[in-house]
Amino acid sequence: MKAKILLAGTTVLFAAPVWAETLTINSFGGAYEDAHKTCVINPFIEATGAEVSIVTAYSADAFAQLRAQKDAPQFDVIHFSGGQEIVGAKEGLLAPVEPAKLENIGQLYDIAKPNLAAGEGPAYSIAPVGILANSEAGAAPASWAAMMKDADAGHMVLTDISNGYGMLGFLMMNQVAGGSMDDIQPGLDAVADLLERGAVIVSTSPEIQQEFAQNEAWIAPYAADYAYTLQQAGLPISFVNPEEGLPGSFITASLVAGRENTDLAYKFLDIEISKPAQECMAEALRYTPTNREAELPADVASTMVVGEDAVAKLIRFDPAVIEEKRTQWVDAWNSTIAK
Amino acid sequence: MTDRRENLLLLAPGLLLLALAFLLPIFRMLALSVQGEDGLTGAHFARFLGDPFYLGVLWRTVRLSLLITLICAVLGFPFAYIMARAKPRLRTVLLIIVILPLMTSVVVRTFGWMVILSRNGILPEVIRDMGLAGRSFQLMRTETAIVLGMVQVLMPFMVLSILGVLARLDQRLEEAARTMGCSFLGTIRHVVLPLAMPGVAVGAVLCFTLSASSFVTPNLLGGTRVQMLAASIYRSVTQTLDWNFAAAQSVILLVGILLVMTPYIIAQGRRHG
Repeated sequence: MKAKILLAGTTVLFAAPVWAETLTINSFGGAYEDAHKTCVINPFIEATGAEVSIVTAYSADAFAQLRAQKDAPQFDVIHFSGGQEIVGAKEGLLAPVEPAKLENIGQLYDIAKPNLAAGEGPAYSIAPVGILANSEAGAAPASWAAMMKDADAGHMVLTDISNGYGMLGFLMMNQVAGGSMDDIQPGLDAVADLLERGAVIVSTSPEIQQEFAQNEAWIAPYAADYAYTLQQAGLPISFVNPEEGLPGSFITASLVAGRENTDLAYKFLDIEISKPAQECMAEALRYTPTNREAELPADVASTMVVGEDAVAKLIRFDPAVIEEKRTQWVDAWNSTIAK
Repeated sequence: MTDRRENLLLLAPGLLLLALAFLLPIFRMLALSVQGEDGLTGAHFARFLGDPFYLGVLWRTVRLSLLITLICAVLGFPFAYIMARAKPRLRTVLLIIVILPLMTSVVVRTFGWMVILSRNGILPEVIRDMGLAGRSFQLMRTETAIVLGMVQVLMPFMVLSILGVLARLDQRLEEAARTMGCSFLGTIRHVVLPLAMPGVAVGAVLCFTLSASSFVTPNLLGGTRVQMLAASIYRSVTQTLDWNFAAAQSVILLVGILLVMTPYIIAQGRRHG
């Protein structure tokens, strides 16, 4: 009993003062977080006067935290790029999103808001996964098939499927190699062949940069935004939009269940999906906007996958199936790549 | 207040911290490892023990940890011996050299190795230039890289453990052996080494347990294709979100380390009992 009183006492001492409401969110660190602040967080602070507490955590880590905090959630709005919102919604960790409370929701493509009622928050950006190629190292492969068959695998960087973009790139290679969501063996065989021919596997984005900058890597299946990051770092990298199409990684914002700040959280979501915020994020990081009103300067748009038609053509590998089969796939992938 | 009560009082903060930050999570982990959708299950252990991939990860963890321990002992013993016999000033310099690696962050130190060992790093380049390997040869993401990185981290533990014993060794024992006609190496082998064994044993237990459970260095230098157990546990927790399986792997690691420590604990008990 004494302990409880003591605990209550400390909570009062350390709780934020009531007049400055605080919204707790996660962001992905680095350049992403900077752009996130400029485009979404600061405008939100200006509009509401609330404070925002940012926890830097990638999707998987953020999800692990969300799950661990099930009984006492700490996030108000949580961002995922790997389809974690689907699992989170299923486990009751996320609150349903009522479209009526979001002014801008009507401007989003349908593909960006498939399951709001279940708690899967809207996608405010999409990262298409294609081929990153060093434009000084000869002609880049024009298709996934050409990349797998003809490219010099000794200069290729693959990404582990524990990485969200790595998973999408792998599923795309699997599809092109003749596989499906029920059969990833063709993809695994293709990867084994590339490794045999000298390709390396990394598991994080910075490692890709390191391979391109220091270790003579020329080709990597990866996301469009990262091609831009590499260009910013001074590397001669171009993003190839392969003939067979591109899978997309949907970056979503969801409401966490069991939190009191719902009005503020809705306001945050609304700003995040708005036209100005999406234009700003697209210009800063080259993410594909999901707001059909978003307009980009021609020179920016020309290097990106944008517009209703292009977005409609993006391949979305069903995140629910990915989540369901992840364990099985990871085991098969691990045994395939293990030395 | 009696002595005993005072002792207890002094112990209390440490015990409390241990109970909250160590014992509680361990029990939670044990519980998770046998938790299934409907009640208790051994399925997570069966999955580990029935999959050649995970058995391979376990075997690599044990094999590399033993190798790292062995190299640390072989390199650490002469180093500790020289330190024990050196003049105070030289000993201080050597001590600083040994513990210097511990003063840099493990991540920074490992990144240093990544630069040295990658395809365009200095070491693979020299090996390529000497015509000993092909164009795409590199040391990053190999077991060799893990061993190199870990030996650097763990050497201090071995050296300091042996030094503690050697420094207290009566130098007259060696002198006696030499005057009796024993060679220098013979003295080391028949007199110093046997007496230094308790130090070697402590160092070996430290090196083995630390390297079997270490995460950052093996993960960064070995990469995804050369996994050790701690990295595999991390992947299960954060990537496949399979906490029960992660817990089962942790229990296997814990039991493995306890098994290695058992002979040591028994030997210690015998010596003091």
